[in-house]
Amino acid sequence: MRDVAIVSFAQSGSLVGTDLSETQVILPVITEAVERAGIERSDIGFTCSGSADYLSGTPFAFVANLEAVGAWPPISESHVDMDGAWALYEAWVRLQHGDVDVALAFSSGISSRSDLGEVLCLQNDPYYLLPLWADHVSLAALQARALIDAGLATEADLAEVAARSRRAARDNPHAQVSGDVTAADMAAKPEVVAPLRAGDVPPVTDGAAAVILVAGDRARDLCENPAWIRGIEHRSDPHYLGVRDLTRSTSARLAAEAAGVGDAPIEVAELAATFSHEEIVLRQALGLGDDVEVNPSGGPLASNPMMVSGLIRIGEAFRQIDEGGRHRTLGHATSGPCLQQNLVCVLEGDS
Amino acid sequence: MTPDTETDEGDVRFVRQLIGLDYAVRTNPVARAFGEALAEGRITGHRCPSCGLVYVPPKGFCPICTVPTGSEHEVAIADRGIVTSWTVLTPIQYAGQEEREDYALASLLLEGADGTVGQQRLVEVALDEIRMGLRVEAVWAPEGEREPDDRGYGLGTAITGWRPTGEPDAPADAYREHVL
Repeated sequence: MRDVAIVSFAQSGSLVGTDLSETQVILPVITEAVERAGIERSDIGFTCSGSADYLSGTPFAFVANLEAVGAWPPISESHVDMDGAWALYEAWVRLQHGDVDVALAFSSGISSRSDLGEVLCLQNDPYYLLPLWADHVSLAALQARALIDAGLATEADLAEVAARSRRAARDNPHAQVSGDVTAADMAAKPEVVAPLRAGDVPPVTDGAAAVILVAGDRARDLCENPAWIRGIEHRSDPHYLGVRDLTRSTSARLAAEAAGVGDAPIEVAELAATFSHEEIVLRQALGLGDDVEVNPSGGPLASNPMMVSGLIRIGEAFRQIDEGGRHRTLGHATSGPCLQQNLVCVLEGDS
Repeated sequence: MTPDTETDEGDVRFVRQLIGLDYAVRTNPVARAFGEALAEGRITGHRCPSCGLVYVPPKGFCPICTVPTGSEHEVAIADRGIVTSWTVLTPIQYAGQEEREDYALASLLLEGADGTVGQQRLVEVALDEIRMGLRVEAVWAPEGEREPDDRGYGLGTAITGWRPTGEPDAPADAYREHVL
């Protein structure tokens, strides 16, 4: 395996109901990531993006988004209809080929122009769940209920996660929701879909993010504290929820094992826990002890641009090494209802 | 699904499953300014401060140089240009189809622009007389009927069509780089 490191990360911050086109949102983010890496766009040997046209309701938006990359003369690029974390994964695989050394992964999501409760139904199977219009919040609530019924969490635990996320987000200038709140404040919020309350459900966020990956020693030339990808893996649970045990995430556990999460202590984990209870499921699945700091950025409960949240988690895990002086961190991404698919990325600094 | 009604004929049963998604369309500031100018009978573009290429409609950036552009880079574009390519469409009479006769949509290179504007209706010309290099001018919709493309991709309804000016055709060099 080639050593590949993250050397640069940029994000738009939480845009709320933006008027800008998706491409206009992406352009300055890529420019910032490229400038922070101290490279030229022409240095990039491979580009991979993640987005979903269903969110903004714009056919072929992912093609228009390439205009933010600078695709002339023609470049080598690819797209995934997934969170940008999977674009980063493809870029990492591409760098393993050995013929290019620098890759760009970026993603974008304009979630505010649709009703996510409708759009996300379309990812369900067309025979059993789609005709029920089983929306993502209701399905998440089923998972939270299963967790509580099994004695693996309480509503107070959910409120604690929600409150801690908002408090952590106070230090994150890119956060959308933050505040000096207590678990009691969160427990008093109205129910959205029981047992999930308003604080357990993420905000609707528009945004974009970009990461620059570099292979080999050149990463050390470009970044004082590059974050080396020591393990990266993604696994999927069955599509149909009825055949899964919703109280656990087998795919997250398998991805964590393959990525070597347990090989050495993790200091900080940025988890794409979109609903409060998902953090509890993920902590268990990833084998993270109580000493692991989770989501110092506030996580998706503080800002949740669809298709971008996972890439931001990896970017924040990079920042913990590059700016925070940490040695070993974890970034996690998820896709599909009830943590169906999970990606785990373990990062290490040189020191 | 195709069937309008549930049927029990034969071995296969159909169930209607209609899916509708509602979207809020938001017009970005660059497209909004472009639409406002169109309503006044003006076509505008943005000139890239780096490479000098002029984009119509403006995008708010140059996709080649990846630098932002704004109102300070706005330039006036003529409401006349040349046909670079075209398609004759034969309308299929599906429900909701309002076209009855064959018609032509063309890509036009407007004077002052470096890229073509697509899907423009050609009028007052026989379909078999359309050719590359044909010089055309805009037929503007009446004021008050110039609805912009709310996403800024095209000219909206501001221009109902483009008719030949009667001038000699432009030479091939004028459109050679713009035929796609």
